[in-house]
Amino acid sequence: MSFMHRPLKWLAAGLALAVAALPALAQERTLVVSAFGVSQDLLRKNLYAPFEAKCKCKIVVNVGNSADRLAKMEARKANPEVDVAVLADFSALEAATKDLIEPIDVSKLKNYGKLHEMAKDPIGNHMGVGYTYFATSIIYRSDKVKIDSWRDLWKPELKGRIALPNITTTQGPTMLLMVDKAWGGTTPDFATGIQKVSEIKGGVVTFYERAAQVVQLFQQDEVHAAVVGRFNWPLVKKLNMPIAWATPKEGLTGGINVLVIAKNAKNKDLAYAFIDEWLSTEAQTRLAMDLVDSPANKEVKLPSAVADVLTYGKETVAGLNLIPPTQMLLRRKAWVDGWNAKIAR
Amino acid sequence: MFDDRRIGMALAAPAALFVALAFILPVAVLLSGGFATPEGWGLSRWVEFVGDPLAREVFWRTVKLGALVTLACAVLGYATALAIVDAGPSWKGRWSGLVMLPLMISPVARTYAWIVLLGRTGLINQAITGLGFSDEPLRLLFTETAVFIGLVQLFLPLMVLSLVSALENLPADVVPAARVLGASWPTVFFKVLLPLSREGLVIGGTLVFTGSVTAYITPAVLGGSKVLMLETLLYQRVSVHNDFASASVIALILIAMSVVTHALLRRAAAARAR
Repeated sequence: MSFMHRPLKWLAAGLALAVAALPALAQERTLVVSAFGVSQDLLRKNLYAPFEAKCKCKIVVNVGNSADRLAKMEARKANPEVDVAVLADFSALEAATKDLIEPIDVSKLKNYGKLHEMAKDPIGNHMGVGYTYFATSIIYRSDKVKIDSWRDLWKPELKGRIALPNITTTQGPTMLLMVDKAWGGTTPDFATGIQKVSEIKGGVVTFYERAAQVVQLFQQDEVHAAVVGRFNWPLVKKLNMPIAWATPKEGLTGGINVLVIAKNAKNKDLAYAFIDEWLSTEAQTRLAMDLVDSPANKEVKLPSAVADVLTYGKETVAGLNLIPPTQMLLRRKAWVDGWNAKIAR
Repeated sequence: MFDDRRIGMALAAPAALFVALAFILPVAVLLSGGFATPEGWGLSRWVEFVGDPLAREVFWRTVKLGALVTLACAVLGYATALAIVDAGPSWKGRWSGLVMLPLMISPVARTYAWIVLLGRTGLINQAITGLGFSDEPLRLLFTETAVFIGLVQLFLPLMVLSLVSALENLPADVVPAARVLGASWPTVFFKVLLPLSREGLVIGGTLVFTGSVTAYITPAVLGGSKVLMLETLLYQRVSVHNDFASASVIALILIAMSVVTHALLRRAAAARAR
């Protein structure tokens, strides 16, 4: 994924250099945000630019995958460069166990009360606040197959026609959670799920690394079903093909992304103001309308055309089967090792 | 060239200093991580890696693929390079330019292009079903064959260019001389052209092998992540296990594989020359 981010990294580095080189001109302060690379243009339009106008400050974004960005934060622990980081819940918990982030005083966030319950303290001790959810399910060609259970991925007519996430992606473990549940697995090492996936391994077209690839696979008629996150759904819908989002009887899975504050961040006041802005009904609505992120703020009202493609609504959100971040942190290595031993050989 | 050797050394100093500081030092720091254990320096990470049957399996699979890609590139590369050198001065530049053209396109774009070509509805399958060789489209994409094709296409230019520069330095009359003395075309190739251009083969072979065993995007995208390779294992160790120590073990193994390949090719070339 990092190849896509390189120009942005250079841009960010260039901006940082420009700001550092012009202390006399640059009276305004800088807030450094560490974030995922996706949708940065829309985040700038809907969030960064309006915030910069209010705070009279400049936002510099460091983008990259979670592992890279955590490693950087660890390297700069004594002298943190980043103020606010955007992470998946389990990566945020990892940052907390490494003492890289500090608890958030939620009384300083006036929009905190508007969040769904699940977003209020997803990793414990108020180390982070959730700003978005995503559901993960199966999408399928409704003209070729019918799917109402995670077990339907084992239907003979789907042999050679499915794409599943690789174990190293965020979706990989969540898929195992549901598959394991659907086939009656009872152990936290997902042994049943891994065994079942290995049984159809030959019929899996690809274990994808990048979710964007799934759109191409449907377009080229390579696959008739795939396990994907809801954030991919807007792109899939644009294909104008008979593709449906399954609501399996075992339920949907998914994930939460959170905002955290780096320990001893240099611009803590700006960090709080920025997080509050991100959680505000206005910013969450703008980001939802551009299909960037599903809202964690329960006051956000969306037209049904938009709500339909996002992960929206109290029931949807409350019904997600999530892997607790503590489990994810504790077991992820074992899941990868189990996957390597049974599937990737 | 210079009367005083110190002038040459001084000219090389800035580049040497840059490489030492910006490359050799960071790489040394990174790789030393593979020898760091909680109890101090030691080989426990290595013992662990070598003792793991999965790691050994992945190692040999990676070596095999690298060797096959290098062999295919050598065969195709010699054919292409001989044609280019034979084409005469004005065409040589144009053909070399065409060979170089793919190097100017990002490997990611080139890899994705293969998805379009090798897919069920891609050009190759359309030809196969259209010409009646098969009723059903063949599964070409996301197989080891696809990874092989992708890597050969990715690295063939490096082999061709190394061989062209080796072959064009040959005296123009060695081939006619051998023919006049009664050598058959295979004899000309194996006894004259191959020994005289072995330096190019050593360089091209090292570049292709190193590129193939360290490529990440091509195996991940074209192979469908169905089997582990050393570089995908390295990626897992960093991104999931957060274990930079065993990742540096793999990194050092990859570097060692390139160095050993280079040495083996060099020895083979020297043996031929005797």
